[in-house]
Amino acid sequence: MEAPALLRDQDVPTTRSLRERGSRRLEIRWGRYLLIAVALAFVAAFLLMPLLVVFTQAFAKGAGAYLAAVSDPTAWAAIKLTLMVAAIAVPMNLVFGVVAAWTITKFQFRGKSALITLIDLPFAVSPVIAGLTFILLFGARGWFGAYLQAHDIRVVFAVPGIVLATIFVTFPFVARELIPVMQAQGKDDEETALSLGANGWQVFWHVTLPNIRWGLLYGVLLCNARAMGEFGAVSVVSGHIRGLTNTMPLHVEILYNEYNYAAAFAVASLLALLALLTLAGKSLMEWRQPELKHGTRRKGARTEK
Amino acid sequence: MSITLRGVSKQFGAFAAVDDIDLDIPSGALLALLGPSGCGKTTLLRIIAGLETPERGQVFIDGRDATLWPIRDRKVGFVFQNYALFRHMSVFENVAFGLKVKARRERPAGADIRKKVQSLLDLVQLEWAGDRYPSQLSGGQKQRVALARALAVDPEVLLLDEPFGALDAQVRHELRRWLRRLHTELKFTSIFVTHDQQEAIEVADTIVVLNRGRIEQTGVPGEVYDLPRSAYVHRFLGQVNELRVQWRNGRAHLGPIDITGDPALNSYGSERIALIRPHEIDIGDEAAGWPAVVRDVRVIGPIVRLELYADGRPASEPLEAEISRERFDAERFHIGQKVGVRFRRWQVYPADPVEHALGATRVAEPVAAESGLVAPRTASGTSAG
Repeated sequence: MEAPALLRDQDVPTTRSLRERGSRRLEIRWGRYLLIAVALAFVAAFLLMPLLVVFTQAFAKGAGAYLAAVSDPTAWAAIKLTLMVAAIAVPMNLVFGVVAAWTITKFQFRGKSALITLIDLPFAVSPVIAGLTFILLFGARGWFGAYLQAHDIRVVFAVPGIVLATIFVTFPFVARELIPVMQAQGKDDEETALSLGANGWQVFWHVTLPNIRWGLLYGVLLCNARAMGEFGAVSVVSGHIRGLTNTMPLHVEILYNEYNYAAAFAVASLLALLALLTLAGKSLMEWRQPELKHGTRRKGARTEK
Repeated sequence: MSITLRGVSKQFGAFAAVDDIDLDIPSGALLALLGPSGCGKTTLLRIIAGLETPERGQVFIDGRDATLWPIRDRKVGFVFQNYALFRHMSVFENVAFGLKVKARRERPAGADIRKKVQSLLDLVQLEWAGDRYPSQLSGGQKQRVALARALAVDPEVLLLDEPFGALDAQVRHELRRWLRRLHTELKFTSIFVTHDQQEAIEVADTIVVLNRGRIEQTGVPGEVYDLPRSAYVHRFLGQVNELRVQWRNGRAHLGPIDITGDPALNSYGSERIALIRPHEIDIGDEAAGWPAVVRDVRVIGPIVRLELYADGRPASEPLEAEISRERFDAERFHIGQKVGVRFRRWQVYPADPVEHALGATRVAEPVAAESGLVAPRTASGTSAG
């Protein structure tokens, strides 16, 4: 009797532990499926469906109505203004962002943490408030209002105000993207270049810029997306003058408020298209980046010794 | 190019990284700045390079005050611990960088640059690697590329920060020899930073031992190793056995061994320690010396390390002795064997490790050592602290 009992003693826990292990594996697998399903459902409900709605609504009255809405002169003016504002704001923030990130990561100085906090300010402040501050600064009764009026310079309710508001709102994107990248890379490369006799500009152009190019491009893309899509701050300073100071998001709102849904969604679809193009550009870059690394490896199959 | 430091100090917040350092580095020296991490050796190297500005003191290059010269004007080649190769450039472009960024008037023609880079790659034995990228190279190869790149601008001083720190032992050994040879061939001044005493002894002509931002001792490797001026240096360069000097009946002892004649014991009853390197311990017959039991035997190639449990010493503090392989093969010490320990040489220091009074070296004459022995068992049994 003793021997079988002994056998069973050994046997039972083994099968149990096996079964436990199997069920645990099953649990892990189900957990994984569940998480993926939740994520996909979330993406579908909150990202894909709105996008779908934009495009179906845009074409609700047929392609003719769509083309008419897009080629309307005021719509054209809005598109041109949006692209122009982005074309001014993004390069300026590119320069500001690189300078700020460089200053913060390569030098030690007093007030550095204050500067880092200030860079985040546009993210923390509501865009509407940001717009209002520009009214208070440059509006007719603002601090510089009298001066501007005397010299016949229009800032608020004109293109300069829209550009200023956009620059303010999109200020952090490039710097925020670059600071961690440059912090991680340290100063060794730059100091080496200096020791080899390079001047400041050569160090930046030949050493720093190649090291940060992907972070920089990513920051520029995000900055651009926001510059084209900004509503709140721009809405406050624009004055909504049709054909003059309406950007695309503002134009969409006006059309929508006039119950001209098809036209509103048609212009909105263009904005969405620009956003999708931006994202496509970003994925293309992310996809090319590792490819670039491997590309250099392709040649060198030979190893030393 | 000679370098002279006078009263150089650098603070980081409240922490004095480099504290009032005077140092003369003659042209053509191969000098090691040696010390544990945080002793200020890298900061000192960066001050010499011009990457840090000292708060006080001056740096002279060839007798001229260069304290505020930027690194570009100092004719130094700096090699970082992590090599800092430009990742997006091929090996060739890395080495050519210093030549290509020269002002147009001084820049060599394209063909000359190519020739120079190729000759440098030959020098570092990487002539085949010109169009490789840094990510395709091993650590040792990267290190050599970094050296070639630094040499491309004809520096008069080569500064290396932990040059072999990240390499495995075999490659490190090879590169050390190679660096020495390079130094002899090219005759520039080299200063390197290391925490590895072995490396400093193997490579350098002069060793500067640093401790908390100050110079503890400067000298040729043999001198620093054999005649350390403080317990700190003694401990840092190689293994030591540490024994407290015990006073019994007006005489000083290490265990049962009488060392009363040692002039470093300047006053009676003072707190002193003696440091003894493993190879300075002699093992002999049980009757002659401090009785001990062999606890462990490690054969490490040409040497054999023995762990000895000496009578009256706590088991947690065994004595470590090193003997030659030949001696071991002849005498075949084994675990559990009873032996007698004698000290061929010891050095006495004040017990407080912060105090750095001069410790005088005693080389025990055979007769003195013999007569210094107290009858083994009885004396060690009464080991009063």
